Amino acid sequence: MGSPHPFLVSALLAFLAGAVSGLVTWRRPAAARVVAFAFAVLGSLLLLVAAFRALAHPSSAISSLPLVTLFPCTVRLDPLSAWFTLTLALLALAVSVYSFGYLRPMERTRNLGALGFFYNALLLGLALVFTAANAFFFLSAWEVMAVSAFCLVVFEHEKAETRSAAIVYIIMSHAGTVMMLAAFLLLAASAGSVDFAAFHLLASKLPPAEQGAVFLLFFAGFGVKAGIVPLHVWLPDAHPVAPSNVSALMSGIVIKCGIYGMARVFFDFFGPPPLWTGTLVLAVGVVTALVGVLYALQEHDLKRLLAYHSIENIGIIVMGFGAALMFRALGHPNLAAIAIVGALYHTLNHAIFKGLLFLAAGSVVQSVRTRNMEEMGGLVRRMPGTALFFLIGAIAISGLPPLNGFVSEWLTYQALLAGFGTTHSLTRLMFPIAGALLALTAALAAACFVKAFGIPFLALPRSEAAATAQEAEPAMRYAMALLAAACFVLGLGATWILPVFDSITQQALGVPISSSLLAHGIALQAGTPQSGTVSPAGIALVFLALAGTAVYLVNRRLRHARVATGPAWDCGLPGLTSDNEYTATAFSKPLRLIFSAFYRPRREIRPEYEVSPYYPSVIRFESGIEATFEKRLYDPLKDWVFGLSRRMRAIQAGSIHAYLAYIFVTLILLLLFGVRQ
Amino acid sequence: MHTLQDPQFGDKMVTLMAALVLVLQIAMVAQRWIVTNIRLFAAQSFLLAFIAFTIAYFNHAPHIYAAAVATLLAKGILVPIVLERLVARIEIRQEIEPILNMPLSIVISGGLTLVGYVLAEPFYRPDEAPGASTLGHNALAVAISLFLIGFFMMINRRKALTQVLALLCLENGLFLAAISLTYGMPLIVELGVLFDVLVAVMVLGILVYRIRESFESMDVSRMRRLRG
Repeated sequence: MGSPHPFLVSALLAFLAGAVSGLVTWRRPAAARVVAFAFAVLGSLLLLVAAFRALAHPSSAISSLPLVTLFPCTVRLDPLSAWFTLTLALLALAVSVYSFGYLRPMERTRNLGALGFFYNALLLGLALVFTAANAFFFLSAWEVMAVSAFCLVVFEHEKAETRSAAIVYIIMSHAGTVMMLAAFLLLAASAGSVDFAAFHLLASKLPPAEQGAVFLLFFAGFGVKAGIVPLHVWLPDAHPVAPSNVSALMSGIVIKCGIYGMARVFFDFFGPPPLWTGTLVLAVGVVTALVGVLYALQEHDLKRLLAYHSIENIGIIVMGFGAALMFRALGHPNLAAIAIVGALYHTLNHAIFKGLLFLAAGSVVQSVRTRNMEEMGGLVRRMPGTALFFLIGAIAISGLPPLNGFVSEWLTYQALLAGFGTTHSLTRLMFPIAGALLALTAALAAACFVKAFGIPFLALPRSEAAATAQEAEPAMRYAMALLAAACFVLGLGATWILPVFDSITQQALGVPISSSLLAHGIALQAGTPQSGTVSPAGIALVFLALAGTAVYLVNRRLRHARVATGPAWDCGLPGLTSDNEYTATAFSKPLRLIFSAFYRPRREIRPEYEVSPYYPSVIRFESGIEATFEKRLYDPLKDWVFGLSRRMRAIQAGSIHAYLAYIFVTLILLLLFGVRQ
Repeated sequence: MHTLQDPQFGDKMVTLMAALVLVLQIAMVAQRWIVTNIRLFAAQSFLLAFIAFTIAYFNHAPHIYAAAVATLLAKGILVPIVLERLVARIEIRQEIEPILNMPLSIVISGGLTLVGYVLAEPFYRPDEAPGASTLGHNALAVAISLFLIGFFMMINRRKALTQVLALLCLENGLFLAAISLTYGMPLIVELGVLFDVLVAVMVLGILVYRIRESFESMDVSRMRRLRG
């Protein structure tokens, strides 16, 4: 097998051609839907080949893109880049196939040429972000990615909700870019170059204060994109308002740019880091995971719920990174490697199952024409395929065996649990606490997906639209089937996939880890004294055996029994309607009470009377939870900025002469200053 | 040696003409009439073109001839004609109404000339490269002064048209700096700059017209109303 670069370049060209075809078919939505997304599929396939080749033959070879620009456009596919490229290619392939079906009803009403253009531009930007080999090119690709994502989010711009979400997104995204830019400049100043190869292990050679600044700037800058708490507020607004295929990309892979950046900085630019960095990252990860899942539980907008779960999963990934940083600082490269493997594997897994869930949610939303779960219900009968795929995604995201989410969360647990014995200082308490909170997060996520599957798909339809919903088109179902199959493969085949990480951990920490993670062929073990052993494939076999036995026994009984079908159990009140159903609000009520200190729930009951105070004619009921981060953190910040701007207006005289005078005085002062030097 | 081939003589010529350019500039600050101002600008551009000819002749730099001819045609003839027509067409009062009064403006211009000399000082190193750098010294100081005074004129004048004129003077300063320091930029750069000036005059001419239509005055201070 040869170099992956020709495939990478052809993939980039395919995305470019897709973008151009979007422009060419600007006025012909039907053509745009087919051509632009066919190029996207082609590009994803080529990218997939490039990623496989790069993972099979790890190298850090750099090649230049044949572009005429002012700075070097260098790319490389080292193992870390290749892993994220693989994630991108898999998800982009499924989402692009899905788009063929999903966009068909929009042909009449929407400019699909624009959508195709920005969609391909986004894929192009993402592929370049993951492969760029110097800081300038990386930041340029980053901006292509961020701006095209903005244009996709704002695609349905006639809704005020969409516009405000998109504006919050672009502002926060750029604030993050500024921090990254500052950090890159600090590094470049000391490296004398902008090549990533020159940054390797460089950050650890800086003086401690500067090292801390670089670390915090990178963490916050990439954290905005990843959606770590408290920088997450844009995410639950922006992801749901985009078209659903774009939501899948946003939650599946765009936020992973932040994760990629963190991995690149933490394990490539930094050598063994100071201990506090790992502690901070781990703590932020724990808080992010918990806050994400807690908000998700109270969310009844299907897509917003999924967006909050993205925050939760980012938290889990960041916890892995934090643990790895701490292990590295404490001198345990093997444990650090397990934590990194857990985090990176979860990155891919999350892209797959969150993509699947968003695609399924997109089918539902397109069919029911609302995102509110309370108006769905009973969809399992109308949309059986979509329901099955959503269920698979829900099992995977809840971290239940034998699917893929389980494997990566299990690896993270093992790393955290092994951490207690690594040091005698108080920091060791971090590990079991983080492990316990991770367990809590996973349990709450499972509870949340009982709601997310049960309320829309089971019981009776709660609205006319839900009662007449149509199953998704074949292209959409194929795409979901692809991702669902990937959930199984990545879960059951984990033992065959883990050796891929050897080259990544070798590059980052100098230790290959897979040999100690694999035991007895199909079982996983954490290579530590107190480790556990688990085999997803074995669990699956046990499940199959148990289920088979149960089916066999039931069938044997039924063969000889008489079967009668009757109404559902109705407590003696015949004629159950959808009003009798358990609602999403009711389902999440117990948790709202338990965590009321966090939610600060608010509820208002306003009866209106006409004749007598005993017979209200209308009762209005309103309940909600406080948007803590917006209210306590961002509103004061916003007020402060506006206050400052108001004071700054004094110098904005609005007169050309004044502005000229400002420039003139500045110029003369600078000139005199320059002469004195 | 024949006088007309002595570089020293050329330097003196250039210095003399540069001084005249500066005098013309200060005269423009002091002059009240728009039309006279435009003619002073034309005279200044002629002198600049002659400086360029002189430098080209004494330093055997044939490509500067082209720059000189271009300057003569564009800034010495074309731009003044366009501006005078504009003045005639929009029928404004012929008087410039500066923000600061004449005497104070002239004192400030003198001060700016001083600043120009201070700024040009570090470039004056006769011990390192005799000959060329002495020429650079005076001419550069004058060029910086032209630039600063031009800028000051822009601030000091109310009407958009007179500000355009100030911008052109400022640009003359840049041209003088370029030819005296480097003996001429590549011709293509010169052409680009001249083209820019022409376009600027066109655009500003239209803009002036529009400002007058919208505000019934050319006084840009009225644009203050646009502030939100």
